[in-house]
Amino acid sequence: MKLRTVIIISAMSLTAFILVNLASFRLPNPVPAGADAGKKVWQAYNCVECHTLFGNGGYVGDDLTHVIKKMNPEELRDYLVNPPVMRPNRKKHHPGVTQAEARDLVSYFKYVNTIPTLGWPPKPSRPGGNP
Amino acid sequence: MKLSQSVLGLFTGRRVRGGRALASGRMMGQVIARRFLLTAGMLFAVQGIVALLGAADLVIPDLPSPIPFEFGRSIHLGLATLWPFIGTLGLVYYFLVEELEHDIFSVRLANWQFWLVLLSSLGIYGSLALRIGNGREYLEGMPVFYVGICLSLALGALNFYKTLTSDRNAVTPASGVMVIGVFLLLIMLMPNIIHFSNPVADEGVKFWMVHLWEEMALELTTAGFVASFFKTTGMARPQDVEKWLYLEVTLTVVSALFGTGHHYFWIGYPAYWLVIGFVFSVFQLVPVVFLVHMTYKGLKRRVSTGRREKLALWLILSSLLYHVLGAYLMGFIISVPWVNLYMHGTFLTSGHAHLAVFGALGFLVLGGSYYCLSRGSEPDERSFRMGVLAVLALNLGLLLMAGSLLAGGLLQTYFWRVLGMDFMQVMQLVRPYLVLRMAGGGLFTLGDMLLGWQIFKAWKQTRPGSACAHPAD
Ligand code: HEM
Ligand code: HEM
Repeated sequence: MKLRTVIIISAMSLTAFILVNLASFRLPNPVPAGADAGKKVWQAYNCVECHTLFGNGGYVGDDLTHVIKKMNPEELRDYLVNPPVMRPNRKKHHPGVTQAEARDLVSYFKYVNTIPTLGWPPKPSRPGGNP
Repeated sequence: MKLSQSVLGLFTGRRVRGGRALASGRMMGQVIARRFLLTAGMLFAVQGIVALLGAADLVIPDLPSPIPFEFGRSIHLGLATLWPFIGTLGLVYYFLVEELEHDIFSVRLANWQFWLVLLSSLGIYGSLALRIGNGREYLEGMPVFYVGICLSLALGALNFYKTLTSDRNAVTPASGVMVIGVFLLLIMLMPNIIHFSNPVADEGVKFWMVHLWEEMALELTTAGFVASFFKTTGMARPQDVEKWLYLEVTLTVVSALFGTGHHYFWIGYPAYWLVIGFVFSVFQLVPVVFLVHMTYKGLKRRVSTGRREKLALWLILSSLLYHVLGAYLMGFIISVPWVNLYMHGTFLTSGHAHLAVFGALGFLVLGGSYYCLSRGSEPDERSFRMGVLAVLALNLGLLLMAGSLLAGGLLQTYFWRVLGMDFMQVMQLVRPYLVLRMAGGGLFTLGDMLLGWQIFKAWKQTRPGSACAHPAD
């Protein structure tokens, strides 16, 4: 085998891989402006380090892919704007955001909830309880 | 390179044929490699401390900390991805000129590359400490810093390419493979500079870096480095290495590319990825069989080695152990969609991540760093014993850390994902395992400081101006 052969096979596989990815990104419906703003808030506060979305992220808090099924939008906004103390801490609160940011985050969660995840998670969270 | 020449070169530190040898006996490529390798070793030492604080934050309520957990974890992940990467660049510089027997194309480019990657990495850690980041897991820094890293990679790729093609007859499989690896690092990182509004694309492209750096690009540079190491130390005959290297690497690239599918099961990608991800994960196992085979043969051939080579070899053998068990075997099991459905996003993932990123890749980079930095010196009995102690503490610490994550992860998977218990309730149940993990982390950090010190000492002793450098020169 020659170096040239390695490069040609690698380049062809890479191209095929990228093309299949581009086809796989397609969304069932476009991202609304509020959800995009919410995604930016999600990133700015670094939420992914404690919570997972689609199961990817940190393990301190619950997965939030379908959090909107567990808490209704008012509950969720209230939680984010007036963050409670996090068990088992006595003083440390959950990070908080502004009213406007909470609204955007909720639209982001609503949007993420519409993305099909092929039956994952196997036991969806039940309504009630904390994120 | 002829075996006799490599062995001679190894002991004298002097180039036998060709190349712009420096007075110290090293080529500039290897002098510059030392900067990358020392940086990697020192960042690793820092990581142990950051990580231990993070692990303590998880189990000690209300632990006061200037940096909140989420940004501390980001720094930890930034270190986990970048120090092995910086060390790898050093290894490529070092073994590229070793293989080609002539010096790098441009020293100036190499210097620029070094400073760009160093400042970008420090920029990432500094801004994250100030709570400024981009909130994408493993790529938490501001995009501008990844632009810096891409630029530095582009300079490196250009330099390596020019070095390789300046004498086409000198190209060996190991050198060619390492350079392809560097190009792939660049290609997979570039798209990650962009902001994606589409969360599915964001997740998908993130794994081009998270998965394809570790399991494709860095596997190529690693394969090249290991092959070169075995050749230089006389553990393998060049023709044995060269017979299979290209084949191994082609298989690695194709299987790792589509094996990315094991991260695409539940992120909104179409269902056919369940099949692609699983099938190609099976093929990902093949290249590691080559690696084990080569090492087995090498160990059988090994005649006798000094303390320095022994220490390097033990680090590299540790890496091989986790490569096989923690990365590939466990990776394969969790790539079965029915298994992944339940374990995805639990502490089992974290256990695998530590075994694979540190166990397989980290140990190897540290072994290489130590080997290259200590060239021209030989540790005394005391340093050697410290080195062995460090390797032991790192291994035991990692095993305890990962073992408790795996045990806790199994419980978490069962109670949370199978029985459907409340997340926070399950977290309370697995707390004892997180305490054990922290204990393992303590042992690990001890080994981490010890080894960091040995690496620093080796670097200091072999500095061109240093009195005790190159006893053999
Ligand atoms: C040196 C080699 C490897 C390294 C450095 C590595 C590293 C990692 C890391 C860091 C993660 C965590 C990703 C995250 O947090 O989202 C991960 C997850 C994963 N790895 Fe590996 N890995 C390696 C080899 C493999 C192999 C060979 C396979 C399969 C054949 C594999 C299968 C997986 C799977 C399926 C996951 C996702 C777990 C989940 O769903 O939560 N890994 N790996
Ligand atoms: C003192 C030793 C260490 C301790 C105590 C430690 C602790 C932690 C903690 C607390 C987290 C965040 C929570 C979690 O994801 O589980 C984490 C994540 C992680 N650490 Fe470490 N760590 C250590 C060493 C390392 C080393 C040496 C590396 C690699 C070079 C590494 C790579 C990672 C990775 C890739 C993750 C993300 C895991 C994932 O998302 O699945 N860690 N570590």
